[in-house]
Amino acid sequence: MSCVERPDDFERRRKKLQGMSDEELHHQFWSLVEKIVEPVIEEARSHTTPSIERSILLRMGFSSIEANALVAKILEQNLLGHGAGRLILELAKAKQLSIHETGTALLAGQYWEELPV
Amino acid sequence: MKLSPNKKLDVSEILKGLEHYRPRRKGWTWRKKLKDNKIGPFVYKESSESLKKSIPLPAATYFENIDPQSDLVITTEIASGRFEDDLRRMRMAAWHGADHIMVIRTTGQSHIDGLIEGTPEGIGGIPISRKQIRATRKALDAIEDEVGRAINFHSYVSGVAGPEIAVLFAEEGVNGAHQDPQYNVLYRNINMHRSFVDAAEAKTIMKDAGILQLDGAHNANATAKEAWKVTPELFVQHAINTAYSNAVGMPNDLIALSTVPPTAPPAPKMQYDLPYAVALRELFADYKIRAQQNTRYMESDTMETTITHVLDTLISRMTSTDIQSTITPDEGRNIPWHYNNVAGVNTARQTLMGLDGLMEQVELKKDGSLRENVRELKERAVLFLEEILQKGGYYTAVEQGQFVDQGYFPERKGDGIVRDPQSGDGADTVIAREANYGAPVCSHFGNNIYAQNNNKTCDDYGGCTLCDPSKVQYIDELDAPDSVEKRLEQPLADQAAGILRPEVEKHGDSIVCVTLFVPESPKVAEAAALEMARHMGLKNPEVISRRVMHPAEGSVFEIKGILDVAINIEKLQIPTGEEPLSDKAIEDWVRPRNVQVVAATVGEDEHSVGLHEILDIKHGGIEKYGFQCHDLGTSVPIERVLDMAEETNAQVVLISTIVTHSDIHKQHMLHLHELAKQRGMRKKLILVAGGGQITEQLARQCGMNTGFGHGTTGRDVGSFLVRVLRELEAE
Repeated sequence: MSCVERPDDFERRRKKLQGMSDEELHHQFWSLVEKIVEPVIEEARSHTTPSIERSILLRMGFSSIEANALVAKILEQNLLGHGAGRLILELAKAKQLSIHETGTALLAGQYWEELPV
Repeated sequence: MKLSPNKKLDVSEILKGLEHYRPRRKGWTWRKKLKDNKIGPFVYKESSESLKKSIPLPAATYFENIDPQSDLVITTEIASGRFEDDLRRMRMAAWHGADHIMVIRTTGQSHIDGLIEGTPEGIGGIPISRKQIRATRKALDAIEDEVGRAINFHSYVSGVAGPEIAVLFAEEGVNGAHQDPQYNVLYRNINMHRSFVDAAEAKTIMKDAGILQLDGAHNANATAKEAWKVTPELFVQHAINTAYSNAVGMPNDLIALSTVPPTAPPAPKMQYDLPYAVALRELFADYKIRAQQNTRYMESDTMETTITHVLDTLISRMTSTDIQSTITPDEGRNIPWHYNNVAGVNTARQTLMGLDGLMEQVELKKDGSLRENVRELKERAVLFLEEILQKGGYYTAVEQGQFVDQGYFPERKGDGIVRDPQSGDGADTVIAREANYGAPVCSHFGNNIYAQNNNKTCDDYGGCTLCDPSKVQYIDELDAPDSVEKRLEQPLADQAAGILRPEVEKHGDSIVCVTLFVPESPKVAEAAALEMARHMGLKNPEVISRRVMHPAEGSVFEIKGILDVAINIEKLQIPTGEEPLSDKAIEDWVRPRNVQVVAATVGEDEHSVGLHEILDIKHGGIEKYGFQCHDLGTSVPIERVLDMAEETNAQVVLISTIVTHSDIHKQHMLHLHELAKQRGMRKKLILVAGGGQITEQLARQCGMNTGFGHGTTGRDVGSFLVRVLRELEAE
């Protein structure tokens, strides 16, 4: 649904703002912006995406190709909400393997049923 | 790797050992500002440290060849599709004062879900990959050593792989990046939830790496039909990205707004663009501003574009901009040519140095139309924000087409960009984090069980790549036929064979541009111009700029075409002339001495212009250095010249000989030499001949000390004389 056409009724709308000092207007500007941003940033705090998870695996030392394949498989198993990095790290601890060995094993189809969800 | 000014950048050497190359610093670098900086004859108020190596502005030759540098960072955008060619362009731009190099990404990279590897060729930009970034950073490290100033390397953290690209940039020492989720939503139709969730992670990574962030608001100017009417919304777009960045913890000094003065002449630019820039500066007083030059209203005329860009830069100076981004003057007609990147950089450099000290002398008025317009813009922006909240927040506002409407808000045309929050690229890929969600890495945003520990989140396994770069996995190539190594075969073979071709963009493209004025009506003139270009041997000639001088009297055209000519360097005859001495060096030597010069146009020859150019102070001739000149005029017999030399005890004789029929010019020179010998004067005299057909070689064959042809200046002659006289004096 697109916005309907509307004439420039700025003069009418500005009346409530005209009494404000410049400083008050700036304050109003920024407090409105913060209200807009608040729910959006909340979603980011509590959600993740395949790209975020791949970026985590990159930081854990996987190549982009490995990160792609691992995140795709974890997503397939509906496990991404636990964090790809956490699943691999905790599995590595349990199996006493390095991070990279753990990722390689998962890519070879091993240990999927042992992931610490 | 060390560069030598006389050697070309060796791409093979850059590629060598790349798997082990690490960036030597991270984060953004500003220029070191200097107050009251004395350079040559001037004191600059708004300058920064000078470069070790640079090419000064052309007029610097009148001011001791100074090359003052402004206190603003200067940006140029470079991307031909082949990064190996771009590296040379970056080096040229750095020598002309650019210290912020933006690399545009290849078409479509925004929609690639993941990282690209290797060095495939791009279209309209570079496929950003680890190898390309690392090679570019390595080259820029060498270039910044050469010019003596830090160079900021910049690209884009947008699209559906933002967080991964941010990690790549942090690991590889990229210094600046565009990051603005609104850009994805509005212009790339990427799902809005995905964009904003990704952005929080990307911004966290960027801020920890000290990467300067630019937003994407300027794109609204570039797409709007009447760009000056989207200004209220631009404040809103800037503010949303800024507040979102602050919310993830990005400090103010890493947040830069990307702004563009919205109009161009013949629009009354200052009436619209100045209040806009002032309002922006005031609303965002705590943030950095990167001002781009206008791209919305540019045609193919590079001079017109340049003038608009000068005015843009004036606005930057009046509103305390931090970064001056440049647009190449040819962007309105083709993918920028490399010398036009340099031209764009010079527009900013020349304008900023000319404006030095402006705001110490003038100030913007505190009342009147400027203040009224500034206030109005801010109020319109506040009303825009109120309406977003009334609609139910950002996502609903976008869904209802509130953004990029052509109306001057609160006016609405009903043509805004509409996006469905549940669709777009990457829809349904945002996943709720479980209670035990964890991400055992640094620079992670949001809920994370590992963040509750006191230790670093990556301690459990010895550190993430941001703490231990040795863990970064380097992939060289995935597709060998489409790689830099393959593409380099031809340039390396040409280089080995000593073959040269003209170029504007990529090695061997052979493109040249010619300017033609044709005295006919536009259509006839254009057809004729193309035909003339074909006669010049240009293949595929194409008019890239046309400007009517008069509907009947003629038009001027710029025509590009392919000049398919390979020049063999070894077969070239290259004059071995040395650089002339500086004006100051010549004058310092001549002034305290009494050097007498006798000059004349000899034979039966009434041409006086050439000699005047060389002698007269008002033509920049050698009199200005303190040479005592006796000009005998035109049609002077050789005997008379030598009489005068004897009378004045001259050390120098300059003869001008323009007429050449029956080789008369040669006879004059030989006669002068022989007669001087007979009179026993030859050894103490420096004999110099000048004229249209005179060359150094010919003059020497005819007994002269040297000769000068077309294009000679007083400085060339003065410099030659001082060098010879210095030697004689030393003997």
